[in-house]
Amino acid sequence: MRRGRGRATVVRVDNDRCELYGICVAEAPEVFRLSDNRLRHGRRIDPADEIAVAAAARNCPMQAIRLRESAR
Amino acid sequence: MTVERIVVVGAGAAGFRAAERLRQLGFDGEVVMIGDEPRKPYHRPAVCKALLCGSRKARDVTLEAAVELDVGWRLGTRAIGLDTARHAVLLPGGEEVGYDGLILATGGYPRSLPGAPRHDPRVRVLRTVEDAEGVQAALRTSRLPAVVVGGGFIGCEFAASMRAMGREVIVVNNSAKLLHRFGDAIADAAGDLHAGHRVDTRSNARIRKWDTGRDGVGLHLDNGDVVFAACVVLAVGSTPSVEWLRGSGLRVDDGVFCEPTLFAAGVDDVAVAGDIARWPNLRFDPVPRRVEHWITAVEGGRAAAENLLAGKWAAKPFTPLPRAWTSQFDVRVQHVGMPALATDTVPLDAGVTGFVRAGNLVAVATWDRPHAMLDWTATLDRLLPVPTAGRRPRARPPRDGIPARVLIERHYASRHSFDGPNGIMTGQ
Repeated sequence: MRRGRGRATVVRVDNDRCELYGICVAEAPEVFRLSDNRLRHGRRIDPADEIAVAAAARNCPMQAIRLRESAR
Repeated sequence: MTVERIVVVGAGAAGFRAAERLRQLGFDGEVVMIGDEPRKPYHRPAVCKALLCGSRKARDVTLEAAVELDVGWRLGTRAIGLDTARHAVLLPGGEEVGYDGLILATGGYPRSLPGAPRHDPRVRVLRTVEDAEGVQAALRTSRLPAVVVGGGFIGCEFAASMRAMGREVIVVNNSAKLLHRFGDAIADAAGDLHAGHRVDTRSNARIRKWDTGRDGVGLHLDNGDVVFAACVVLAVGSTPSVEWLRGSGLRVDDGVFCEPTLFAAGVDDVAVAGDIARWPNLRFDPVPRRVEHWITAVEGGRAAAENLLAGKWAAKPFTPLPRAWTSQFDVRVQHVGMPALATDTVPLDAGVTGFVRAGNLVAVATWDRPHAMLDWTATLDRLLPVPTAGRRPRARPPRDGIPARVLIERHYASRHSFDGPNGIMTGQ
């Protein structure tokens, strides 16, 4: 993902779609966590986790994960 | 050779992720995507759930690319031939699209059943948006039950969707149990779950005769039962969409024969991904096989793109641990690995079934245990390591294997016994 200085990737999960399969946790355990019937996740992503988060988003069975860039 | 145009045939998950990966890797030539469906790539797993139930519209499930795709679309167009000597894809009307690199990802067709009157609009398959719309239209023709033939993933998901829509549904299953490929524990749980939701399942049933009457479709089963349906969905598996490749110069037989890197065997400018790729997954063995799971299509599309750009001699083997999921009545059924390779199943934990080949674990399936699936996915990843060139992977079990019983006992004794650098190879 092309990005300038001071930009960050922001994760959003559509909880109406999410069915808690945990595929994203397998792909990006630093960012996603299954707990008590809810998916917990960081919002602003450490650049080191971007590749894993992109894998989580594209492999999500419900396509419930959206990534976008935002100013820090 | 300067690569100027890469053609992707097939606009499903594999083709879409291949195109996306080409752009992510900086390919700045032309990308042409040819797809026989009339719409841009969408999330096909939604077809027999959200789209069928009407909770989402087709436009809600369009796939989103991580980068600008800048693709030339040829949608609603079915490729009819390939000439690998002239490096051209043949389209109807005599059109030819030349390529410098080609990615084949045409997926599969739903299988039909001998004798099924597919010319009747109430007898349908379920793979595309249009299929879902066709089933919805057929369901409106009467209040009779819906019938689905097949007790696998699609059959069970369809049944659950029908109950969610308040329709009666009958599953005509030629096996003894629903989801029978997942071992008795999961199959029995699936049977109880569906029965509890008043799904009418006819087991070990085959269709002897079809009647297409005005008021409904009649199915005569071989046990003497007759069921009447507003709509019959055939969910009896799929067949790879490769007929169009006959005479292309590629080796085609239950898919396209590929090298471990997804390059089509015998050529250096064609890579294959998704349901039609028949390739040896070196994590398991050197036997070329197809995998019909969505995540494997997603990651295979990317691998095909990466390898095509890298070139045949720099390409890396595609060695996924296949993963799949289904959800029925809010129960998540998942598996990892290759259950079809197993000769035996063993219970590993409550709701967790292991699949064993020659004493080695080759797959795990879970019944509504996503946390356990995470643990077992990590375990299987260590038990079935990706071999590296010229070296036997260290954690690969010995030739005669470790009996599943021992493996399971070790797993119980210490979940972390697999975590050591040598895995179970040390046999401690």
